[in-house]
Amino acid sequence: MRLDDYVEGLKPDEEYERRKLAAEKSYAITDYLDDARASFEAVKQGDSLYGATAPSVFVGRSSYPNVSAGILSPVAEESEADPDDYATSGAWYERGLGIDNVLQYRTGLLNSRRSADVNVEDVWDGFVGTQREVAIADRPVDVEIGLASTPDFDPDQYAQPTANAPSGPNASVDSADLTENPHVPRAVEKTLEDDDWRAQGAMVYLYEHGLDVYDVNRVLSVGALGQGENRRLVPTRWSITAVDDTVGQYLRGQIRDAPSVDGVEVRLNEYMGNRYWVVLAPGHWEFELVEMKSPGSVWNPDPGGDVWMAAASEGYEGRSGYVEETAGAYYAARLGVLEHLAERGRQAKALVLREVSDDYWAPVGVWQVRESVRHAFEREAADAETLHGAVRDLAEHLPVSLGDLRRKSTMVAGLQTGLSDWA
Amino acid sequence: MFKAIVSADTLRDTLDSVSVLVDECKIHLNDDGIEIRAVDPANVGMVDLTLSADAFESYEADGGLIGVDLSRLEDIAGMADAGQLVQLELDEETRKLHIQIEGLEYTLALIDPDSIRQEPDLPDLDLPAQVVVEGADIDRAVRAADMVSDHIALGVDAENERFYVDAEGDTDDVHLELEREDLIDLEAGDARSLFSLDYLKDMNKAFPKDAEVTLELGEEFPVKMHFDFAEGLGSVTFMLAPRIQSN
Repeated sequence: MRLDDYVEGLKPDEEYERRKLAAEKSYAITDYLDDARASFEAVKQGDSLYGATAPSVFVGRSSYPNVSAGILSPVAEESEADPDDYATSGAWYERGLGIDNVLQYRTGLLNSRRSADVNVEDVWDGFVGTQREVAIADRPVDVEIGLASTPDFDPDQYAQPTANAPSGPNASVDSADLTENPHVPRAVEKTLEDDDWRAQGAMVYLYEHGLDVYDVNRVLSVGALGQGENRRLVPTRWSITAVDDTVGQYLRGQIRDAPSVDGVEVRLNEYMGNRYWVVLAPGHWEFELVEMKSPGSVWNPDPGGDVWMAAASEGYEGRSGYVEETAGAYYAARLGVLEHLAERGRQAKALVLREVSDDYWAPVGVWQVRESVRHAFEREAADAETLHGAVRDLAEHLPVSLGDLRRKSTMVAGLQTGLSDWA
Repeated sequence: MFKAIVSADTLRDTLDSVSVLVDECKIHLNDDGIEIRAVDPANVGMVDLTLSADAFESYEADGGLIGVDLSRLEDIAGMADAGQLVQLELDEETRKLHIQIEGLEYTLALIDPDSIRQEPDLPDLDLPAQVVVEGADIDRAVRAADMVSDHIALGVDAENERFYVDAEGDTDDVHLELEREDLIDLEAGDARSLFSLDYLKDMNKAFPKDAEVTLELGEEFPVKMHFDFAEGLGSVTFMLAPRIQSN
């Protein structure tokens, strides 16, 4: 399909309307707190011992290396929902969850936590041991949690729900004990037992053995991977990026000598007020994520302000520094692109343009970027003669001018050629 | 067979010019001097270096080929003081390089040349513009551009007989112009190409700041950058592929 036919349905007027739509919405995340508060009243009033089915874990990052280690469990008293549904995964995209659904899950998840030293080599008993069992299991685990305080929301987090994905209530715990034998996948047992195996290699092994990055992330964050003396609790936010980056580097290595895609391919995907243009072009691997955050969207709250732009890129050999501007979204988007290319056995120059509209009124987490880019490749691609031709055609559908985009984007400014192109 | 004595400074200048691009390289030990040609893994930047036998205190070679780990060899060369001599001798039997610096002996294991990336063919480019500038001028332009962007345009305005450098960042710009009288030499022809600063910064580290550098440029074409070292007995040409708009 030609690119102009592909984008024909996207009338500027509709886009404008779409951007306006959010004006009618309630921006108060606190609305969601009322439901959640009601559902954990029972927990507050009852016995300090509390039976829970925990699908996931959380490791905080403040005051590292003394972090808070937490077990996450749904607090709904008579929940009909499967506890597994509360754990962040690609299934959230497949089920078409909206921002409000995600906030309901997030605020309905109690984080039973206590402080822990990140150095967990050979720590098997106590709270950290129980947390590890929950993390390495492939289905929710029944635990009995002894609460030391009543659960409450961290009010600061909801006063300014900016960069962090909102989470549910917290409670301090005295103890946590398993009340069942968790089911642990064979591959995870193997990486857990081998304390001479570097974490990067173990992460890739788990990914290759069918664990998605969400599962690998849980295993990494509880310090269940790596060489013995290096086993640490890894704050959840860092471990998500570490897994996306590590698996991405592995996949990038796989396509290093692969033939290039034959032509320019443009794909579009939209989810939760985010629009992704994914452009592949022939040549050696090169990648860039450009983010355009509209005024009134979550990180750019002034409705009368300018579109806020961020970009980060890498060449054939990757990048050395951390991506200051785009943070974890960069590695999540890159993973989606690399999975597609590795599956096709091709390499490409890949440009991802992310437009965040003001419909995106609360941050749901970087999984949204990962899944949107992954699923973009299920879409039919439009053709274009050149990457720059495609970008010129797309520019009228973007909230910034081509000139501003060229200033911000390394790939739009120019694509890296190789010397053999000139021989 | 290969046996040579060279000043530590000349050896270091030689190695530094290559190590800005690659970690390991092949060295041709020709009877009239050494020759190194290497391209980075992405095939974007290339270096072509020759050092005449006359640059050595003594030199004997008969056309051998060795592969070396550059950072190792640089570390060893770094053990010598400026002005000290370094003696190099290849042991054909063990395929090791014996290095002596005033009583210090170091035996360096060599790398199988076949395991090193193949040497590139030199693209045969007909570039319309040539500029000769002080290395210090390029250094200034590269450092200024690096403050605002990760790429840099090098160009020649033929009509006004100017060499110019442009860098466009998110909000800030850098522009540098050198007129004919600011340049050591200029063969004017219209040229403008965009280059990755990552590469140019690395190559810039090898440029002599107090000597001339010759740039050959075209419109969305690779740039050739040439300079001499070791009092004219050594010669380096870098070639860098551009970032382009037209595909």
